[in-house]
This record gives sequence, structure tokens and C-alpha cells, in this order.
Amino acid sequence: MKNNRFVALVMIPSVLYMFLFVVFPVVYGLGISFFNYNPANTHNTFLGIENYIRMFHDDTFWLALKNTIFFGIVALVLNLIITLFLAEIISVIPSKRLKTLFRTILFIPCIAPVVGTSMIWKHGIVATDGMLNAFLKLFGISPHNWYLTQGPLLIIIIVYTLWADLGYNVVLFSAGVENVPKEFEEAAAIDGAGPLQRFLYIKLPLMGRTFAFVAVMTMADYFQMFTQFNIFAANGGRNNSAMVLTNYIYRTSFSNFDMGYASALSAGLFVVVFAVAMIQNRLMRIEWGYE
Amino acid sequence: MKKKLLSILLCTSMIASLAVGCGSNSKEEVSEGTDKSEKTKLTFWCHENEPWIKSYNVMAEKFEKEHPEYDVEVQSYPFKVYTEKIQTALTSKGEECPDIIAVWGGMAPAYIESDALAAVPADFEKELREDYMDPTLGVYQKEGKIYGVPMEYNLEYGGMIVNKKLFEESKLEYPTTWEELRKVSQEVSVSNGDVVEMEGFEMMDSDSLICNYLAMILQQGGQYIEDNGDINFATAEGVKALEEILSMVDNGEVDLENLANGEYCFNDVYQDKGYMASVGTWGIGEGETYELKYGEDYEYVPVPQYGEKMAFASETGWGLMVPANGANVDAAWEFIEFFSQPENLVEHNIACNQLPPRKSMLTNETYLNAMSDIAFILDILPDGQWMGPYNTSAMRQIFDQMFLDLCDAKDRDVEGALKAASEQISSECKMSYSMD
Repeated sequence: MKNNRFVALVMIPSVLYMFLFVVFPVVYGLGISFFNYNPANTHNTFLGIENYIRMFHDDTFWLALKNTIFFGIVALVLNLIITLFLAEIISVIPSKRLKTLFRTILFIPCIAPVVGTSMIWKHGIVATDGMLNAFLKLFGISPHNWYLTQGPLLIIIIVYTLWADLGYNVVLFSAGVENVPKEFEEAAAIDGAGPLQRFLYIKLPLMGRTFAFVAVMTMADYFQMFTQFNIFAANGGRNNSAMVLTNYIYRTSFSNFDMGYASALSAGLFVVVFAVAMIQNRLMRIEWGYE
Repeated sequence: MKKKLLSILLCTSMIASLAVGCGSNSKEEVSEGTDKSEKTKLTFWCHENEPWIKSYNVMAEKFEKEHPEYDVEVQSYPFKVYTEKIQTALTSKGEECPDIIAVWGGMAPAYIESDALAAVPADFEKELREDYMDPTLGVYQKEGKIYGVPMEYNLEYGGMIVNKKLFEESKLEYPTTWEELRKVSQEVSVSNGDVVEMEGFEMMDSDSLICNYLAMILQQGGQYIEDNGDINFATAEGVKALEEILSMVDNGEVDLENLANGEYCFNDVYQDKGYMASVGTWGIGEGETYELKYGEDYEYVPVPQYGEKMAFASETGWGLMVPANGANVDAAWEFIEFFSQPENLVEHNIACNQLPPRKSMLTNETYLNAMSDIAFILDILPDGQWMGPYNTSAMRQIFDQMFLDLCDAKDRDVEGALKAASEQISSECKMSYSMD
């Protein structure tokens, strides 16, 4: 009982923090989505659900939602496949030093600021006189203006995101892979299972907890990606082909100064992220241990 | 017992650190206040820009010398967070709210439409209406009152950066007529696929495109704002001007990279990838970031006029505003009046490479001597009109998208596209309040 009181007491700062900086802004944001809101006004007009009706009739919102979901799913799936593969490859390297070296190399982009690396990619790789066109020139392909493309620009942003973000999940999966007891794999090997079978049927299911954590966190992160979109396609790219919800919310609030509508869009994004997280959580429910 | 003591100590230290973290530095403020107890402290907010901050500080010191009862503190913030910072501050009261804020004209409507700003005092307003040029005041007006005092005349039209070395190597003269401009542009440009490797005359970025386009309409004697305030680009002059611009893309004189990725054309000229780029005078200083020397590597010369008479449209530039919730509203206006006096404002305009907003400063010798390279721009300033009561950022997005679509279209309907864009801008980008 005493212990419970102590735990409750030490949790107060965290709960206060969560309430002030997480719960309150979410509820407040939801509240202002019902107004024609300007924070500097002493009186803001109540619009009811008008902002939400506008959102349902807004083509850019639906396009941004589609792009957000496309980006989130494609980048997430590719991230999980690549990072799992890399983690498994690294785990079979016998030298500890080499393992650390590879993990460090992969982790470096994660600690570099996204703004900086996005700018380098934008001007050094994707620009018309950048490395991408120089590479294509080797095969006799004439240079291309990638910022005028529709599909390819979004693909480029996905590739950049994977490059910038792989290292973190590789480290997490590496820990997961190495935590799987060797006995299971050895037993499967004795039963005649090959390396791919052992990975797919033994290791992967036993890494369920790590996998679920990585998948949910990465998904939530990818649905809210903003910086690279704001740098590669600040206005959403050609015909808004690279417009995602976060960028649209930013543009609506700080370029068009339409805070109330931007809050309604944010509520839309919240619902999407929440729904996907719930579905994912249910699909990845883990009810076992190694014991 | 030991555990209990440890728990109490732990809790106390956590609460103490929370209090320290969340607390304010009120003590410092108190001691600071006691040192300068007789002075009224004015807080001046601006965005981070080294020469500008330096100039604001010079002005603050000058003001303090003449008015020893005041202490002006200049506080700067990164531009990316400046808008949000102001919006939050405007809702605060007293010392939490700045006394003076420097604001970009494009940001101003968001604050003006609120009731959080103090209107310019009547006698000062009279001075503004008499001596300030129309485009400089444009956006600061609401329902017959003025809510901001311009510090500059913002102009994205009229001048271009030219790559002096490229011109010398090609043994070409700077063009002085529109026909010469197009001829040189076609002659020097080199394209490869849909990329132009050497650009001629560049105006394909978000700022230059619309400003040059509007100037081309007005110079033909046309107008794009109708009597009811709606936008209409689909006039004979509007169609002709856009067809002229489209022909630059069709001829391979310029590509659309900067327009598509949100960069400025003049960077190409500084990187020897273009001969000429239309930009406001502010673009001159950017050459230094490429370690280039004005006069040796590049120069700033007039953009040849497209039509018969000089005319252009301009957005309202940087100005000063006073939040109504500030603790020292009257003192803030006193500072701004001091700042705006021609003998003071001219120093600021020179220090920041800005164009003067006041008619009486167009012949200011101090300015003309210090800024002789851009003196030609001063001659055309009275010919400008305000761009109009629109959110120009949103207006640009619609216009740029329409232009990119037209560049790609096989069967172009220029008039139809202009009509659709005009309707969209009129319905979506108009300011929510009336000027008069």
C-alpha cells in the first residue's frame, strides 16, 4: 500500500507533463477546430462542424490522405523488410567489431538532422545537376527535372526516408534477433530447416514483441513525417502529388493562416493514425514468452 | 525508516527540480529592473537576420540617447518560428507581450484581422497617408485605419542580376529593350532533355513569375483587379503576357526547376548556370554567399520594360506594428515615429539593402550616394500599384500550379486556364476584412 502511494507520488510530474503537453493540446486543438480561429482574436466565431464538412469536400485533403497512407504503408513495409534483413545479416557476422562498425555506419544518418540531410539530397542528389541525373547519364539517359514529376518525387522521398531512418530499426531488430535463444534455431537446424526457413518460422515469430514495437512506432512516425516533405515539396509538388497531411496542415495554418480548418485537418490525421495503430496492435497481439 | 527518508528526499528533489524547470527567472528580472528602475523598457521583436538586427540595435541606441527615459531591448527569433511566436505573444498581456513587432507584409493580415493590434495614432496616420507610397501601406489598412508602419518598399520587379563574366566571355551587351532581352536569352541558352543547362533570362520562381506577369499586364495598359475587387487575368493583356512567358519555356530559354522546388532563379546566375535573373534588390547581397564580388562577377541592372509605359504591382513589405496588449503602447508609437523619420529610416534602408517607402526619400542624397547601384529602381517606384487585398502566398500557389499545367499541356487553353485561376484566387485568397 505504502509502495503504491510512493509510486503514485513519483508519477505526478510525468502525469502532469503528459496532461499539460500532450492531452491538453490535443483536446484544445479539437476544440478550436469548431471555430474560425485566430489566436490573436478576443472573439472567434463558432462554426460548429463547418470545418469538418469543408474537409470532406476538400480534394486536396483526400489527395493528401491518400499520399500519407501510401507513403506510410510503402515506407513502413520496405523499412521492416530491409531492416530485418540487415539485422539478420549483421547477426551472423562473427566479428563483434565488424558488427558494431556496420551498425554504426547504418546509424549515422539517424543522428544527422533531417533538415540538413534533406537539403543535401535536394541540392546534391535530386537536383537537375545532381548525382541522380549524373548516374542516369552513364546509361545514356537524358537529365530529368525530378521536382516536376508526380510519382517519382514521392518515391524519391520514400528512398530518402529509408536511408535516413534504417539504422534505428536495425539496432532494435539486432537486439531482437540476438535475444532469440540459440537452442530453438539449433533444434530446427537438426530437423533439417534451412537458413531462410529458420529465420521465417523460428526467429521471426519469436521476435514478435520487437517486431510489433518497431512496426507500431515506425508507422506512427511515418504517418507524421513532415520535414523532408516540406523541403522536397514545400507546396506539395506537382498537382499536390507529394502533398501529405502534415504538410497540408502546416500550409493551411502558417501560410494560409486558417487555424480552425488546420485543426480540423489535424483531427483527421489523429483519427487516421489512431485507427491504423489500433488495427496494427490487434493484428500483432503477442500472448507468449520464451519460457 | 531509512526507506521513508529516502522516499521523502527523492520526492522533494523531484518537486524542486520540477519547480526550477517550470519556474521563471523572475529574480533576474527584478534585479535588472531595479538597476534601470526609472526607465521604461520597450521590447522590440524581429526575426533573425544579422544586418537587420544590427540596424535595429543602432536605432534603439539612437532613440535611447534622445529619450533617456526609455530602454529598448531588441529580441530576435528564427523566421521559421517567428509567426507562431507572435501569434502566441499577441494573446498575452503586459510584459509577456512585446511592445513593437517587425512584421513581413505577407504575415500581417493574420494579425490585422484580429483585434490584437493598436491602430496608428491619428496624426501619424496623416503623415503615412501623405508621404508613403501606396504599395507600402496596402496590407496594413483595415476599415479605414492603419495598423502598421512600413519600413521599406518591397519590390520583386524592375531589376535583374546579370552574370558579368558570362556576358564578357560571350562578348554580349546587357539588353536594354524587351526584344534584345529575348534575343540574348535565346542565343545563350543551352538545353538538354527537359533540363536547361545554361539559362537565358530567368523569372521562373514563385516570386519573380507572378510579379513579372502582373507588370507585363499593367505595362500594356491592362488591369487584373476588377472594380468589385475580384481578380481577372483572362483579359487580352493577361493572355498575351502569359503567352510571352510560356514561349520562354517552349524555346528552351529557361526550365521550371526553381518554380517546382521553391528555390530562387538568381542562384543559377551566381553559379554560372544562367545569364540573367529577375529579383528584388535584396538578391544583390546573396552574391556574397557565393564569394562573388559585385561589379566584377555580377551586376544589378534594369529589367527591360515589356510594354509601353512603366507599371508594376508590388506587395507590402516589412513594417512595424504595436500589439494592443503591450504595456507601453504610447511609448512604442513614439519609438516607431522616431524610427520612421527620413534621417533615421534612410540609415536602416541602407544597412538592410531596402528601398525607401517614403516619397520624400526618393531623392534623398544619403541614400542615392550609398546605393548608387540601385538608384535606377527609385525612378520607377512611383509607378507601382499595390498587388491587392489577397493572401499573396496562396495566390502564388494557385498561379504557379496553373502555369506548370499549361507548360505541360498539349492543347493549351491559356484564356481558360487564366479564367479558372482568377476565379479560384478571387474565391479562396481574398482577405476577410475590408480596407476602407
